[in-house]
Amino acid sequence: MRTVKHALLIARKDLAVELRTKESLNAAGAFAIVILVLFSFAFDPGPEEVREIGGGLLWLVFLFAGALVFNRSFARELPNDCLDTLLASPLSAGSLLVGKAFANFVMLLAIDLVSLVVFGIFFNVNWTRHVWELGVVFALGTWGISILGAVFGALTVDLRLRELMLPVIIYPLLIPLLIAAIELTKLLLSNGPPSPSDFLWAKMLIVFDVVFTALALALADTILVN
Amino acid sequence: MREKIAIGLSVVAAALLAYNLYQMFMVLPDEALQGAIYRILFFHAPAAMVGMVGYFVALAFSVLYLTGKNFLYDSLAASVIEVSLVFSIINLVTGSLWGRIIWGIWWTWDARLTSALVCVLIFFGYLMMRRAVDEPTQRARLSSALCIFGCVDVVIVYKSIDWFRTQHPGPVLDFRTGGGKMDPAMANIFWLNFLAILLMAIALVLVRTRQESTAREIDSLRRLAHAAA
Amino acid sequence: MDARNFTFMFYGFLAAWLIVLLYVIALARRGARLKKELDEVKKITGQIEQHADRS
Repeated sequence: MRTVKHALLIARKDLAVELRTKESLNAAGAFAIVILVLFSFAFDPGPEEVREIGGGLLWLVFLFAGALVFNRSFARELPNDCLDTLLASPLSAGSLLVGKAFANFVMLLAIDLVSLVVFGIFFNVNWTRHVWELGVVFALGTWGISILGAVFGALTVDLRLRELMLPVIIYPLLIPLLIAAIELTKLLLSNGPPSPSDFLWAKMLIVFDVVFTALALALADTILVN
Repeated sequence: MREKIAIGLSVVAAALLAYNLYQMFMVLPDEALQGAIYRILFFHAPAAMVGMVGYFVALAFSVLYLTGKNFLYDSLAASVIEVSLVFSIINLVTGSLWGRIIWGIWWTWDARLTSALVCVLIFFGYLMMRRAVDEPTQRARLSSALCIFGCVDVVIVYKSIDWFRTQHPGPVLDFRTGGGKMDPAMANIFWLNFLAILLMAIALVLVRTRQESTAREIDSLRRLAHAAA
Repeated sequence: MDARNFTFMFYGFLAAWLIVLLYVIALARRGARLKKELDEVKKITGQIEQHADRS
């Protein structure tokens, strides 16, 4: 319980800092919109094609914009030895990690929603029919991205090539999550009836999130070492 | 001592390979359905198996490092992953060439191929990351964490792509076309070749581990020189 | 068709052996470089120890 309280404390701090400057949010949001514009030139999809590729498009946008967010999550603690202070504090490594992941999660979710709205406008897609289910899928997928982003952001915080390395390391690890999220998003955007395999995808999302969150908490003391 | 073992293993592997190659080309007939090209299987499949096994052996070494903090385990993990990566690449390349003849395509996104590719990507990232970190303790810590996450992910990747691809059926994919039963003479050579490749891999791992230890020795001597000067 | 079959089989074997060969050469070069570096650093630390002994 204390871990959760501490995690929320860290998350609130990060979000407060971010809301004051809005540097990551603005950059990631702008990037997401630019990618959507580029996609419309690259694929120029008609309504049928949008139903087919829309899910994939959206999640690629989330991934690329997300890289900008989780790149900053631990790096912003480097100036003035803030990271050392956090590690020396009574906060457990697990709560620090989950707190950072939660802050990433909230920011990414905001970007997701903005991207969804812009996507709906650019490609004439009605996403309001299953908006709550879509929200759940977004939340589960985004949590997976956030927790892995936090773990590897922490591990690579003082590497000189961090911005290059982080996407290269994280994206292959995220492939199962992406497949599941894309399939579910495609289903929810196309308004078709759910098939049994779609429940498999939902299970996959949950399993991925649970397994990697558990792994992150188990290895938290290794990942965040003073 | 380690060098002698490595040399010994290489010699045995070379002898086995020579024997197998002779058997493959001079004794075994062409396969009924596939023609001559089935012989690639004798390298393709063992390379894949050695690669896969290697990643999980590296997982064990990574966990051992995290519990014991002995750098030898970190060196072993990195060496095993590097050698496994080489064999995984051989797996992909030979498989692609085989597929071009048998299926008419260079590549397809089925479960096995895609998860093999994802493996290569994950562990290539592992090696790249090791090169980006200079400090040995940080490098070992990072590598162990990435190896653990990577191996857990490989299992999930395989299952998920299996599901994904069975929804979108592709060409019937089993390189053991013929239903999975190999002629006993071929099976013999297959397992002998697997042994040869395994021994070769172990020899390479021993050499590579030795190099990692040397690199650490150089690093510590340098620090000593800097401190004393 | 048969000729192509044989050609690709040949390419397959060539690819496999080439990759192994390239890796072994890379290992050998890395080994030689490490040995040279080790000798250099041992020389430097040897010199420092001699200086320390003298003074």
